Amino acid sequence: MSKKRYPWDTRFADLLTLLLAFAWASPMLFSILISFRPANEPLTEGNIFFGSRLTLENYRAALSLAPWGIHYLNSVIFVLGTLAVQVVTITMAGYAFARLKFFGRNFLLLVVLLQVMIPSGVLLAQNLATIRALGLFNTHFGMMVVYWGSAFGVLLMRQAFRAVPVEYEEAARIDGANVWQLFRHVYLPLTIPTYVAFAIVSISAHWNEFLWPLIATQSESVRPLTVGLNKLVQSTEVGALYHQLMAGTLMVIAPLVLMFIIFQRKFIESFAQSGLK
Amino acid sequence: MAAPVSNLIATSGRKSLLSFALPYLLIAPTLLFVLVFTLYPTVGSAVASTFKPGRTPETPATFVALQNYADLFNSEHFLGSRFVQILVNTFSFASLTIIFSVGLAFLFALLCNRQIRARGVWRFGLFHPALLPLIGAASLWAFIFADTIGLAAVVTRGLGLVNPSWLGADTVLISVSMVNIWKQASYYTIFYLAALQALPTDIYEAADLEGATYFQKLWFFTIPLLRRTTFFIIVVAGTFAVQTVEHLSALGQGGPGDTSNLLLYFIYQVLPERRNWGYVNAMTMIMVGVLLVFTMSNLLFFEGKKQEAA
Repeated sequence: MSKKRYPWDTRFADLLTLLLAFAWASPMLFSILISFRPANEPLTEGNIFFGSRLTLENYRAALSLAPWGIHYLNSVIFVLGTLAVQVVTITMAGYAFARLKFFGRNFLLLVVLLQVMIPSGVLLAQNLATIRALGLFNTHFGMMVVYWGSAFGVLLMRQAFRAVPVEYEEAARIDGANVWQLFRHVYLPLTIPTYVAFAIVSISAHWNEFLWPLIATQSESVRPLTVGLNKLVQSTEVGALYHQLMAGTLMVIAPLVLMFIIFQRKFIESFAQSGLK
Repeated sequence: MAAPVSNLIATSGRKSLLSFALPYLLIAPTLLFVLVFTLYPTVGSAVASTFKPGRTPETPATFVALQNYADLFNSEHFLGSRFVQILVNTFSFASLTIIFSVGLAFLFALLCNRQIRARGVWRFGLFHPALLPLIGAASLWAFIFADTIGLAAVVTRGLGLVNPSWLGADTVLISVSMVNIWKQASYYTIFYLAALQALPTDIYEAADLEGATYFQKLWFFTIPLLRRTTFFIIVVAGTFAVQTVEHLSALGQGGPGDTSNLLLYFIYQVLPERRNWGYVNAMTMIMVGVLLVFTMSNLLFFEGKKQEAA
């Protein structure tokens, strides 16, 4: 067995990867360290990394500043409620655009695609007025409803359904499968990876949504985590209580980051697939 | 109920009403949501941008044609005096984020796409910002940028350098762009990585036989072959650059003055006041216009070169 060569250019690239990864992770690494420092102890006191002692008091302080349990629950409702309806709408429309011929198909697809170019997040004022008119202001429904139609999801499912051989559908039809059976036994098993990819992209996008939930709601009982975090940001900036802000921020971002660590491969594949339109 | 439905379609010797209506029924929900929350508000914004709202909900709005747009570009006007700077900020912010985040993403993807020990760890280091809410990312950076007690201040002082006031008037726009670049570069890395892994290997093998260097292969194969991916990422980056403004909430709220304010954040700031509604809609239309021109020009540019259909 000969020893593996380790040429200088590979060494250099490895070192660069290491340095960049460390630089990119440093905001996160430092916030973790700071969140365990005694409250308001400056970096120049004690050990620069670990402070004079490690403590959970910042977490306790951050916990008491907002009803985090309710914010968590609201985020979960918002994210899952959005996803549940999206899955139904993109399945139906994705199938129609993939497999059915009908008058105006291309035109209607173009109308749907408008949403890719004009994201609803930009149309704050008008959508707020619509939500108010529908009596959905300050409700979970009001936050979710603007995302229930997803042009991106329709495109993704259209592509996935088109990749299923037409013969499978014909064979199932001849065997007398109804629409539900056709979907359940022919299309669904073959397109599950696409659904998973869509779910991951949708969940991460809406878990992180901020501006729309902020203006579409008023009371903490319906507001998601990001809006709660913003309140913490505003209140801690005044007193420069950065240690507890870091603790609060880490609590908010932890679930998604943990999910990513567990399902790293799946996450990367899903994000990547969302780019392969 | 479902069985007869599909049988009608399956045995469609004659076109039944249902098989005719089915596609429309299937796309109806999506179409409804797109019409109500994308098309209607766009048209609504266009119409509302030509009106001046009444002082109270009871008084009717008055038609002013393009006066709202003219006011926005009038430096004497209470919003116009701020608008042009904010528009310029938005363009600078967008250009900075697009150039640096796409460039860095390409570098990250090249580095991540190699054999390296503990690859997952480095990848995680480079990817994780993509998962954070922007307001959370900004909040992490708030401590870095904080005057005197912040991480950047302590480090620069330790190195004997002068610490810039990161959120001061001169540098704040660059600071808020940095936060966005930090997050978006991670996100676009994923697209580049996927594209790199889908590249055909045979041409690289041939090039190796010919003795091509790494940078020759990069320049003559990788970059041209990734052109579609690059354009896709630029389109996404452009739409994102206009939409992603929530980090401002944690980093100076558009200030000092309006030195770091961005269009969508400005809209959010002035939205509550009734007298601003005409202007809010005019600004929305300007934003939609910029987005459409940007997306369409990119689309035409690379759809024209695209070979395969879907």
